[in-house]
Order: sequence, then C-alpha cells, then structure tokens
Amino acid sequence: MQFHAFDRHYLEKLTSGDFRTEEHFVAYFSELIRLKLSRRLHSLSEVEDARQETFARVFAALRKQDGIREPERLGAFVNSVCNNVLLEYYRSSSQEPTSDDEEAEANIPDPAISVIDVIANRQTQEKVRQILDQLPEKDRLLIKAVFLEERDKDEVCRELGVDREYLRVLLHRAKKSFKSIYLKRVAKEAMQG
Amino acid sequence: MDHSEASRLMASEKYLLDELPPTEMEAFEEHLFACHECAMDVRAGSVFLEHSKAELANFSPRVARRAAEVRPSGGFAWWRPAFAIPAMAILLIVVGYQNLVTYPAMQGALAENKAPRILPAASLVSAATRGSAPSVVAVRAGEPFLLPLDIPPQNAFQSYVVELQNPTGGVEWSLPVSSESVKNTLTIGAPGVDKAGHYEVVVIGRSAQGQNSEVGRYPFDLQFARTANPEP
Repeated sequence: MQFHAFDRHYLEKLTSGDFRTEEHFVAYFSELIRLKLSRRLHSLSEVEDARQETFARVFAALRKQDGIREPERLGAFVNSVCNNVLLEYYRSSSQEPTSDDEEAEANIPDPAISVIDVIANRQTQEKVRQILDQLPEKDRLLIKAVFLEERDKDEVCRELGVDREYLRVLLHRAKKSFKSIYLKRVAKEAMQG
Repeated sequence: MDHSEASRLMASEKYLLDELPPTEMEAFEEHLFACHECAMDVRAGSVFLEHSKAELANFSPRVARRAAEVRPSGGFAWWRPAFAIPAMAILLIVVGYQNLVTYPAMQGALAENKAPRILPAASLVSAATRGSAPSVVAVRAGEPFLLPLDIPPQNAFQSYVVELQNPTGGVEWSLPVSSESVKNTLTIGAPGVDKAGHYEVVVIGRSAQGQNSEVGRYPFDLQFARTANPEP
C-alpha cells in the first residue's frame, strides 16, 4: 500500500466522505485491527464484527462537527476506538448492532475481489513459495509447526534443537525478503484504486 | 514505545509470534497504529504467514519426510531408513544368492568329490618320446582331468617342478614334486581349463644349489567335448 501521509488534506477528504480516501483508510487499518482483535477474541466472526464496529464508530466520529481534528492522532484514535469496542465485547459477547451502526456500516468501503486482486494474490503466493523453497527444510518445518499446526512454540523449538530467538530471526528474515514485493503490490493497488 | 525501541525489541516479530506480554503488546499496538513503517512490517509479516500456511499445507509429504532427517540421530545415524533399507536389501540379496546358488553349488561339488567317477586322462607316459604324436584328451570345459606321466629320475636334481603351459605359452599351474615321487609313474589330477588347444607339461629339475633345468616337455592336445565321459 502506498503510504498517504495522514495530514490535514487527507483528513479533510476522509471527513468529507471521499470514497478513494475512505477505501485507503479501511485497507490500511483493516489488517492491523484484525491482528489486534484476533489476539483477544475467539472466533473469526467476532473479529469481523468487531472490525466492522470499529470502522463504523471511527467514521461516525470523523463525520461529527467536533470530530477528530489532529491528523497525526488518526492512528491512535483508531486504536482507542478498537479498544473501546473490545471492552464492550468483553462485557457482552452477544451485541446487536444499533440502527446508527447499520447506517455507518453501509458506508464503509468494502471492495469486492477483482481479477487484479486474484493475479496479485497469485504473484504474492509465488513469492512466498520462492522464499519457502530457499529456506532449509528445518526452517520450513518450524514455520509449519508454529503457524499452521499452531503447536506449542517451546516444544517445537526443543524438538528441532533451536531457541525462540532463532524463530524470531527466521521470521524477521523471511518477512524482510517478502516485504519488498509486498510493498510493490500495495503501491500498485493504491494506484489502481 | 517509540520506533527505535520497537526495532530493538523485535516487537513486530514478537507481535506476530504472540510473544509480547499484555502491557508491552498494548504499548506496541499504540505505536503500531501510528507508525507507518511498523504497520507495513507487521502487515507484510502477517500476509507472508497467511500465504505460508497455504503453501506449507501442500508441502506436507516433503516436510514429514525431511522431518526425520533433521532429528538428532547421534551414533545411530546408520540405522536411519535412508541407509538401513538399502543395506538390508543388499544383505538379503547376498544371503539369497548364497542360499540359492553358492551353497547348492558347493554341496554339489562336495557330493561329486565324495562319489566315485571316471575322469578323462591324457597319458603322457611316452609323450616325451621324439616323433610320437601328442596325446589327445577330450574334456568338458572346466572339467578336471588326469595327467599320468613318467619323469626320468636324475641324481643332479633334488626336486622337480611340473608346470602346465597353455596354448598361449602362459603357465596354467605349477606343482612341486619330490625326487622320491618320480621313482614311479605320477598321476597328476589337473584342474579344469577353459581353453581348448595345444598344452605342454614342462618338467623342471631343481638342483641342490637352486639351479633350474628343463628335464622334458610332454605335449598333448585338449579338446572340448559336450559329453567327454558319461556321468556316473
């Protein structure tokens, strides 16, 4: 994703309902919110509900006359809204959306998957395959056991004769190799958006 | 948490690995939502891991196979299937060959040696005589045969050596013979040969000083026959 500075101009377009800016905003924060929620909620549906709720509240706040006016605080604001949503989820696991929420949800950009997305996904998958192919078999096994099989990390590391630091460095290197193509991909998506 | 601290702590990796304690996780998330670099780092890592899961799910057979290879094996490395299975297969082939081919052949040979039989012979008793036609022996390839011959005893020699020269002039075998043995007709049991043709038995006398002198030559022709002699 091409980075759009969260400046006053960006904020003005966001509060005025500019679709492309909203689309960028949602795409930028969606994965971060999903990661944050998935560490605290149990099911994918709960995560998705809370993500939608977070955006609904953020957009509702942005459209208020006395809404957020400091663009540099945008990220922290999204995080704090997400925290509030989570707190409410902790209090009540079954929450029905209000009519205001439903209206806000309807305005959240959620572009369908296009042919370009499918091609980009294939390219991403190919790059991931290349990176995995270049890894020693032990490292592949480590990633598989920890992330796919979700086995206990200490147990897996012990079995393979490595420590937790090795796992972190392995992830760091793989991520670094992947990041360049990932940044190109999101930049292309932003330009096509 | 600021960016330098997040980098130093490898907070992105720890976050993806779900290793951060609750307070550090919240501090990092506050930073993450505000820092473009960390946000892209975590997003790239997350997308990589999602795609890796799909890839590695298809890698299952290879991963499982290689998993055995990366396990520490210590002094029993040779018992790993990669080595043990071919070794066992070779061992089975060797044992099978011995049981099916080698041992029956040896048993057959032993049985043959224990049973009486008629061997072809090339009589060389008068072969050293000038002008006489060479003796002829018909044998099957590899079949042993007899070489009866007379060696004229000479006082100059302390012992003798009998050699068989093949059609190419090479020595097929040699046999030491004592001076006492030559007082009577010798019957040499010769091992079978695989070449038909003109052979010569050469007798060499050995003096007390170790000097060798040719005593005589006993030529004979060896022919291969399908059935030189009937089996007993």
